[in-house]
Amino acid sequence: MLLFVLQLLNGLQLSMLIFLLAVGLTLIFGLMNILNLAHGAFFTLGAYCGLVVASTTGSFWAALLVGPVLPFAVGALLQYCVLQPLAERGRSTHLDLALLTFGLLFATAGAVELLYGSAFYSIAMPASLSGHVSLFGLSYPAYRLFIIVAGLAVAAALLLIVDRTLIGATLRAGVDNREMVTALGININLLFAIVFGVGAALAGLAGVIAAPIMSVYSQMGIGIVVTTFVVVVVGGLGNLRGSFYASLIVGMTDTMAQAYLPEVELFAVYALLIVVMIVRPQGLFGAAGRVA
Amino acid sequence: MRSEVVCVKDPIPGQLETRPALKVRPFVIATGVAATILALALPFFGATFAITLATEIMISGLFASGINLLVGTTGLVSLGQAMFLGLGGYGIGIGSSLLEAPLWLSIPCSLVAVAIVAAAIGAICTRTRGVEFLLITLAFSQMFYGAAIKLRLTNGSDGMSGIPRPDLSALGLSCDDPAIFYYYVLAVTAITLLVLWRIVESPFGSVLASIRENERRTAAMGYAVGHYKIGAFVLAAMLCAVAGILQSQYTYFINPDSMSWQLSGEGVLMVIVGGANAALGPMIGAAIFILVKQGLSMVTTEYLMFFGIFFMLVVAFFRGGVFGAVRSLIGARP
Amino acid sequence: MSALEIRNLRKAFGGLEVIANLSLTIPFGQRHAVIGPNGAGKTTLFNLVTGWLSPSSGDIRIDGVPVGCGRPDRVARNGLSRSFQKNMLLENLTVLENLRIACQALHRSRRSLFRARTAFGEIIAKAGSVAERMNLSDCLHRSVKELSYGQKRQLEVAIALCAEPRILLMDEPAAGTSPQERGRLVSLINALPRDLTIVLVEHDMDVVFAICDVITVLSYGKLLVTGTREQVQNHPAVIEAYLGRHHA
Repeated sequence: MLLFVLQLLNGLQLSMLIFLLAVGLTLIFGLMNILNLAHGAFFTLGAYCGLVVASTTGSFWAALLVGPVLPFAVGALLQYCVLQPLAERGRSTHLDLALLTFGLLFATAGAVELLYGSAFYSIAMPASLSGHVSLFGLSYPAYRLFIIVAGLAVAAALLLIVDRTLIGATLRAGVDNREMVTALGININLLFAIVFGVGAALAGLAGVIAAPIMSVYSQMGIGIVVTTFVVVVVGGLGNLRGSFYASLIVGMTDTMAQAYLPEVELFAVYALLIVVMIVRPQGLFGAAGRVA
Repeated sequence: MRSEVVCVKDPIPGQLETRPALKVRPFVIATGVAATILALALPFFGATFAITLATEIMISGLFASGINLLVGTTGLVSLGQAMFLGLGGYGIGIGSSLLEAPLWLSIPCSLVAVAIVAAAIGAICTRTRGVEFLLITLAFSQMFYGAAIKLRLTNGSDGMSGIPRPDLSALGLSCDDPAIFYYYVLAVTAITLLVLWRIVESPFGSVLASIRENERRTAAMGYAVGHYKIGAFVLAAMLCAVAGILQSQYTYFINPDSMSWQLSGEGVLMVIVGGANAALGPMIGAAIFILVKQGLSMVTTEYLMFFGIFFMLVVAFFRGGVFGAVRSLIGARP
Repeated sequence: MSALEIRNLRKAFGGLEVIANLSLTIPFGQRHAVIGPNGAGKTTLFNLVTGWLSPSSGDIRIDGVPVGCGRPDRVARNGLSRSFQKNMLLENLTVLENLRIACQALHRSRRSLFRARTAFGEIIAKAGSVAERMNLSDCLHRSVKELSYGQKRQLEVAIALCAEPRILLMDEPAAGTSPQERGRLVSLINALPRDLTIVLVEHDMDVVFAICDVITVLSYGKLLVTGTREQVQNHPAVIEAYLGRHHA
């Protein structure tokens, strides 16, 4: 029984990590109709930035704060200088932009390998979170609990911003009708660039957070991003709440499978995807009849 | 104000052809003949390096042709076609290397197996469109990649070796000779492309084009669009599998890397670069791509990064991106 | 059996009721117009009738056969064809190829993988005759992209005719056309065989009066009145829907 609770918590932790990645991807897609296949690159970028900061300052918290900054900048610039102008010229469909990010995925993997080689690195856990916490009669690693809390906090904050604030409303309006929002004097390009940046920053944050418990290496983005895609599709592309629930489902599925049925671990997640695609192609929480 | 387009009467009144009479210029004929002679005679004057390069180009061209059937002709952009390349290769790997069945048995069985798997996967994937289709084909591809690494049957990430080439000892020839293998690949490629050409020119092929142009209208005309999409998916998969079989015979070897994203991406790039003609475009794209890759590898070890950059540039600037380029180039022929 | 029988049709998107308790029967051979202010639910009605949308409740039958959702191709095979408000053409193909593919849809060769598509002369001949009926014979080998807007609208209707439908639905066929093009379109439609049932959604009342005998007026998803021109023109509810209460 205790083992089950442990797995439950582990599943929750994985879910939150996946959520941080998935929410950026689905946010970008839902609001701007861009599928960022290079999303894993921001994850990698964040981790490596965190690595650099942690090794120079010796502080995990500094890494956490500074790590997402470069992904934010890169993401915002990519959107503002490359993707937006291409989309505006009308020549590139959403599919083209997705393929563009596909090329970016390889470019960044190659660039990272060029700079850092294929070695494995790690970031040290902060002293304050290295211990264990007594939870439900278990001794659970404090750091993993931190991940869960961080994930939930981000989820709550995002929901608040998108649903309740003016910025969120403006974003939703801007996706619906660009011209109208621009006519109202709002610089929609800047807004989209910021949103893209935030999505990328969240992935970068996930990279820093994951670093102490996962290895930092050049291909790390490619591995986890497929699971992210499954989450995003299962949750419904563009659906924030959906990605949260789907992250929970996928994270739990993966962890439980790993714990109780190790042979089918990978397939459990894909089987989930297949079943969802057969039953509800638009995702469990997606809007019916959406055409890409 | 758009002025009325004045239609000139058809120069051959009373004769309804689907396309105007082919005005085959002498230049085109000459180029075609020259290319055929070159292809047939290459082993006699070319260095071994050139022969193997040509072999690689043909194999990649077949792979790209399969992708083009799906992406260019039908308009379904998939980033997971490498899974069928790999399935073809693993098919004969398991059949001929593991089970030691003769090639004339394991190759057809492999293709049939791929067709069945593709039908199942296609039935699921074609329920989606656009970016969702892109993602789910990617996910399936990763699933097979993961399976290839994990399963003992496929010997994990070490891959399977000892893939046999055709046994032509009855003719006194050995396929281990690059020139003989080249002719084998040439023959398979020619036959496959001929079959592909017939399919594209058939009523079935015209429906695929119609789906690409306007899927909704095609359904409104009375076509069961879903069935056609699955059909295209299966045919494309089989083409990729043929390429996979040849590939594994070429290297005597197959491993999970044959199913990677990167390979799928390379294939799509070849299709974009090669353009128009369903039978020849991908081959041209493959030739360009491989020659560029050869050139790059002589200059730098950072292939991955340059590939990525090149891919982005092609998508960004190739006259309207993928769909624009593909459509406008395919639209060039009625 | 009526050509089209709609009973208690209701369609709601979430809280928004787009079609409310609509009942309508259209006999074979009738030329029927469906008009109404924007947002009245006309295109939604067409989408429901052709199987693109599923009703929230209610029943739609074509010649007694119920319309299922999600199978618009079956609807076409049952003898009902539709032309769209926005041109839905195969832009990069020629006019002839557009029509040929449309004519091929109900032909046994449509699944053929290895025979050349040009080998089926009867399909090409049929495409040619449809083109002739819609005055497109001179443009057969032109790419659709090169056509004028009026010619595209003609092709739009022509494609729907290729399936030899018994019932033809036309969604604003004259939308965006010049007076000249409109006149041509109307005479082409009127030249169609009299036994063809036509249901027309239109805003242009001249087109409606030139083609149709019976008119149905929709407003906010509800059927206001069905009747002849005179009956509809003077109906107080119709006047109110279009011009407001003061004028009724």
